Amino acid sequence: MKVIASYSIKGGVGKTAASVNLAYASARAGNETLLIDLDPQGASSFYFRIGPGKKQKKGFFFNQKNRLLKNIRGSNYKRLDILPANLSFRNFDIMLSSMSKSKKRLKEMLALLEDEYDLVILDCPPNINLLSENVFNAADLILVPVIPTTLSERTYEQLVRFFDNNSYKKKKLRPFFSMAQSNNKLHRQTIKEMESRHPNFMKTIIEFSLEIERMGVHRDPVLAYANKKSAAQAYRKLFNEVVSSLK
Amino acid sequence: MKLSKIRQSHYLLPDNMTKKSFLDTLGQEFVVKQVENTFEKMAILDSFEWALYEHRILAVRHDNQRISLWFDEEDILDPDEAHTIEDINARTQFWWQLAESPERDILKKLLDLRAMYPVYEGLLRTEQFNLMDNDGKILVFCQLITISRPENSRKAVFRMARLIPITGYKAQSKQASELIKSLGGFMPKLNPIDSLLSALGVTPKPFNIKPRLDLDPQMSSREAASVIISIMIDKQRQTEPGIIKDIDTEFLHHYRVALRMVRAAVAQLKEVFPPQDVIELKQRFGALASETNHLRDLDVFILDKERYMALLPPSLRDGLLPMFNDFEQSRTAEVRRIARWLASRAYKQEITELEDRFKNGYSALETHWSEQPIINLAVTKIQKRYKKIQKAAAKITHDTPDQDIHDIRIDCKKLRYLLYFFGNLFNKKQVKIAGRHLKALQDHLGIFNDLSVQAEFLENYLDEIEHKSKKDIMLIASLGGLISSLHTMQLQERERCIDALAVFSNKENQRLFKQTFVLEQGSKKEKGGRK
Ligand SMILES: Nc1ncnc2c1ncn2[C@@H]1O[C@H](COP(=O)(O)OP(=O)(O)OP(=O)(O)O)[C@@H](O)[C@H]1O
Ligand SMILES: [Mg+2]
Repeated sequence: MKVIASYSIKGGVGKTAASVNLAYASARAGNETLLIDLDPQGASSFYFRIGPGKKQKKGFFFNQKNRLLKNIRGSNYKRLDILPANLSFRNFDIMLSSMSKSKKRLKEMLALLEDEYDLVILDCPPNINLLSENVFNAADLILVPVIPTTLSERTYEQLVRFFDNNSYKKKKLRPFFSMAQSNNKLHRQTIKEMESRHPNFMKTIIEFSLEIERMGVHRDPVLAYANKKSAAQAYRKLFNEVVSSLK
Repeated sequence: MKLSKIRQSHYLLPDNMTKKSFLDTLGQEFVVKQVENTFEKMAILDSFEWALYEHRILAVRHDNQRISLWFDEEDILDPDEAHTIEDINARTQFWWQLAESPERDILKKLLDLRAMYPVYEGLLRTEQFNLMDNDGKILVFCQLITISRPENSRKAVFRMARLIPITGYKAQSKQASELIKSLGGFMPKLNPIDSLLSALGVTPKPFNIKPRLDLDPQMSSREAASVIISIMIDKQRQTEPGIIKDIDTEFLHHYRVALRMVRAAVAQLKEVFPPQDVIELKQRFGALASETNHLRDLDVFILDKERYMALLPPSLRDGLLPMFNDFEQSRTAEVRRIARWLASRAYKQEITELEDRFKNGYSALETHWSEQPIINLAVTKIQKRYKKIQKAAAKITHDTPDQDIHDIRIDCKKLRYLLYFFGNLFNKKQVKIAGRHLKALQDHLGIFNDLSVQAEFLENYLDEIEHKSKKDIMLIASLGGLISSLHTMQLQERERCIDALAVFSNKENQRLFKQTFVLEQGSKKEKGGRK
């Protein structure tokens, strides 16, 4: 079982869009896949038409395997399950800090799912807190969507510094360009500069696309309703790149 | 999720249920969306031995274009779980006609030389529905599978609903199952394949050429011999339609195996019949067997074509092709001749007369052995045959003529038949061990014999061409090469036979035979095998 996270300090950059489509691509490729919606907003769950999980008593989330499995929902697609956003996630941070080994709890919890899934995808909320540190420990690979603008560049570099200062494995960090506009000169320039400065960027670029924007209307992965369109192809390519990076 | 997959459930539905009532009923609780609706010709395939059925596998041919296989009985007829083999047609019957795939490898193991053919033909409608909530979230997958006869597609002979639950929506799948039950759906008592076949009116009759005999040790010897012969004639007769239709070569092979056992019973248990009857029976059954000799030889050669080719250097391989073409042509003619013969009035009269003689107790004057318990005869015969092999084995040297080894082979075969007939009269575990030792020896003797028969066959064929014309130099060269490699292989196999014979007749095996095939079987059993 491998764990990948879709993470960024910045909001609205395409983390959820990537999570949902990569999860779908993974299931289609034959992997038993679990998408964990760690964001209390529940955007991933929404795209798969799954309501928020039952409100749980405090401390529930990290309890035993059975209770965890009980909250998993099958999606409309074979081999693709969702652990829906739970309202108690709001208090996640508080909860984590009250526990011992608190930065490794998520990793331990995921270990319980070892036999059940080939790939787990974590859709993360935007910020740096204790939950994110749990993610950094649990994930084998951390995808970071970066919109090719100066501001995004700075937030990405902030993340890299955080990894340095806290001795997280920088090797795990794999940024990719998201919502890129090839007709925008500034975007093109930023991409060029950042790629030379950060060789760990994924080759695949997710362009800004109306098909992706319309995900909220369809409430389905782009790959499910616009399989042949270039946006779907890009996510499939990104998934293949992820798979070969995980080897 | 892998492990915690919830099991699907199926329900048989009344055949008069309309699709409207099905949809209306499910519609009470769910938004029902039909996502799949296929309608096609279907045939359930199996072999004469029902090899797939025996392994709980279902094979269905769709529209003469592809074959679906289900290895897990729970999944039968679920299009999403089928293993498919594409690019076939209505005449595809053998595993070697399929493109390479893991599925083909499985069929190869199960079918070997057997053909698979339709055991049921009909029309198959497969409908899939998503049972959803108002958000379009699927809560339960549902399939409706309907089979009807080709001549009446409106009337269902088999109708099944399958519910496939989705992780986390247990309550909803229970709800769906209640709705199906309210339509008259019920869970079948039989396992899925049996409930399907029984609805279609198909009764599997797995065929096994090996007789399953369980004779009473005290039965009179003549009655026992008659039972054995009757059973084998019955098996022989079961193969006739398959030979006539030329479905596969195993039918004739089994016809001959059955007949050989009949002849073995007559010859080896000759003491239970009057001597002149034995002469007559041997002659009549022998005549039936010899009719089929030529076709069997051709079958064996053609089946081994690839192997022969591989024995030759590539440059000589094509040289053999004219010979195989010849064989194929002779085979076609010979199959026709045998089919006519089997269907002829003369044959039917002959075989029914023979059959009838053994059916209700063989009536003839008593002989010295005819009324004695069969166990006595069995012990005498088996011990005598084993000792004969053992003595012959002791005399074998590297200069022993091939003919002597062939004679031992014949004796081993006789012993094998005695074990088939009487094995169940003795300690089953020990008989099994004895049988295994015998089998190991027979395998080598069999190969040795096949090689010499094949070499001889080819030599005869070569003689024939040489009389006709010497034009076909390539063929003659190829045949020469082939015959000499067969001889080399035969020499090697001879050594293996001699080694195997030494093992079979060693002290340990002598003791095994002495202790296993004894009269006081009953008391031995009670003592729990103590020596
Ligand atoms: N490549 C793209 N082209 C066009 N629109 C996109 C693209 N990627 C994402 N979007 C749209 O942008 C919005 C934000 O995307 P998304 O929810 O994936 O970002 P996020 O990083 O998960 O946001 P948050 O931080 O709020 O969780 C959504 O409406 C989404 O449909
Ligand atoms: Mg998001």
